[in-house]
Amino acid sequence: MADASVTSTIRPIFTFRGLTRGAQRLLPVSVFVLPFGIAYGAAAIDAGMTIDQAMVASLVMFAGASQFAALDLWQTPLPLLSLMLVVLAVNARHLILGAAISPYVNPLPAHHWLGALMLLSDVNFADSYKAMKDGERDAAHILGGGLMLWCVWAIATAIGVFAGSALGNLERFGVDVVMAAFFGALTLGMVPNLRRAIPVAVACAVAVVTLPILPAGWNIITAALAGGFVGMLDPKAVREAG
Amino acid sequence: MVDAPTAYLAIFLMALVTLGTRVGGAAIMRFVTLSPRVTVFLEAMSASVLAAIVVTFLMNNGTREAAAVGVAILVMLATRSAVWSMVAALLLAAGWTVLIS
Repeated sequence: MADASVTSTIRPIFTFRGLTRGAQRLLPVSVFVLPFGIAYGAAAIDAGMTIDQAMVASLVMFAGASQFAALDLWQTPLPLLSLMLVVLAVNARHLILGAAISPYVNPLPAHHWLGALMLLSDVNFADSYKAMKDGERDAAHILGGGLMLWCVWAIATAIGVFAGSALGNLERFGVDVVMAAFFGALTLGMVPNLRRAIPVAVACAVAVVTLPILPAGWNIITAALAGGFVGMLDPKAVREAG
Repeated sequence: MVDAPTAYLAIFLMALVTLGTRVGGAAIMRFVTLSPRVTVFLEAMSASVLAAIVVTFLMNNGTREAAAVGVAILVMLATRSAVWSMVAALLLAAGWTVLIS
């Protein structure tokens, strides 16, 4: 979490050199984005998105988990409000990342501040946050890492969508289960112990019970909020976050 | 088929929401400190939303999909790698389609 005592001493800068440093550091890691992007491209075609729509989604959203989540609601008519709320819930963790890195970006002028944050994701946050704790004060480092990941994400999506449209009926290759498998694995990674699994279990129960009675996507939003509130009731978790 | 203008409107709105989450955390910190309670809420919600999506997917599908997700979770427990769990689920689902249905 942000340490209030350092806020006054950080004088961040924003330069092209910092940008290339951030990009270079994530070059090896970004290879691991490829399978997810290819899977997303193929799953997007399977869900009924066009090649152009899937590409634009990857370029302007650059948020894999939420893009996958949106595919689940990609139906006619499009439930716009549900889509926005599910994307908000899936990407809410960005708020924590942004708050943690705020001492290193908030002193910047507005255009640099926006540049540093516009491609913030889990991976470049992890790398830049560590670098900045170790003395890096160039906030363009975050954008550089983000740009590297963004390029690989776009290339991977392109591979996935073209493979998807060329091969047709992707369910026989198992593409339809990739999202659920990915999310199942991610959830597991976010739950370090059984106590932290309680809110997740409550959320699952709420999702099951409310699925038949709520419009598309709303059972997920309801479950996410329920999980969040149950999580807050854990005094040990609150102490650990403080 | 989703009509193109609505599809792009949806993508634009989702991108806007996503950008909001990227800048929102740092913006909020200009005025207030994110309390530990709010941090825990956001953490618990982040895991809960993904789990809720998986459960909903399982409710709407059959044994093949449940088996694939089960394998993904086992592989994740064994390898701690999301990539390998995706690959395992993909292989099981593809194999199921070829051999069983």
